[in-house]
Amino acid sequence: MATLVEQDVEARALAAELRMTHGFLAGNEPEVKLPESVDFHWSKIRREIERQEAAGVGREDRGVYWLAAARRFLAPLSGVALVAFVSVVSLNLFNAGKVDDPTRQLVETESLSEHVGSISYKSQAENMFVVYLYDKDSGVSDADVEAEPIDDMVIQ
Amino acid sequence: MSGMFFSAWPRRVLPLLVLFLLGAVSVHAVELKLEAQLIWGTNDPKPPKSEHKPVDDATSQRLRKVFKWKSYFIVNSQTKIVPSRGSNRFKLSDDCIIEITELEGPKVEVKLIGKGVPVHKSTKELQKGEWFVYSGDDKNESAWFIIIRDIVDKDKK
Repeated sequence: MATLVEQDVEARALAAELRMTHGFLAGNEPEVKLPESVDFHWSKIRREIERQEAAGVGREDRGVYWLAAARRFLAPLSGVALVAFVSVVSLNLFNAGKVDDPTRQLVETESLSEHVGSISYKSQAENMFVVYLYDKDSGVSDADVEAEPIDDMVIQ
Repeated sequence: MSGMFFSAWPRRVLPLLVLFLLGAVSVHAVELKLEAQLIWGTNDPKPPKSEHKPVDDATSQRLRKVFKWKSYFIVNSQTKIVPSRGSNRFKLSDDCIIEITELEGPKVEVKLIGKGVPVHKSTKELQKGEWFVYSGDDKNESAWFIIIRDIVDKDKK
């Protein structure tokens, strides 16, 4: 290796730089002298670390605990609330019992035969919804039927 | 302690939530127990056929307040369950069938079938105590009626 370095100019220069750097480091490394013994010094450092951990980590633990507890509580609560909301909306529970909802009064009637006419009415007094069917070919005209009163009428 | 409560909380509430939802769905989509009656109305105090029995007094009075006939006789009466979101047929005579379907809403679709041919269809909510009545004139100044009512609400207005 030494022969190869001696034959190469660049390698020779690099080796010289490395030797010089090694000499700088070896000659100028600072040496700190402790005012107390080494054991006492490291014992102080250890006690200080333990004191700070005992003080700081306790507070942090309590905060993390409540945060985790709240998260454990709120996560399922929000899920339940969401499911309940979707259920109530989809099932339309709030509107299910409203008697005065006008959409509940809607009635669809459809005559499925071209020979049969119909008239429907609601007797509020007797709580009765009547669909009166008549034969269109029997001479009862639509005009006659439409002239009948809407509520509490008597079919003649 | 509270940590145990929090960790067990979803397991405690989830079954209750499922029960609530099942209850809500079952309340919302219910099967109906309906009675369909074919009734004959006439001014003659005697029934058209001897086997026809007069309707009870409450029904008779209620019909008299709406229609002009004095006497009402039961030709046929059937009580059946209409399943939730399903349908059932009430055969009231050889020529007359009522098909009732329970719909969302909750509403019912009532289809009148005469001699095998659909004649009329109505869709409405059957409210508490309400009677749904199909009617029509017949020979000799008489009339026929098909009364559909929730069997729970029978004898109520």
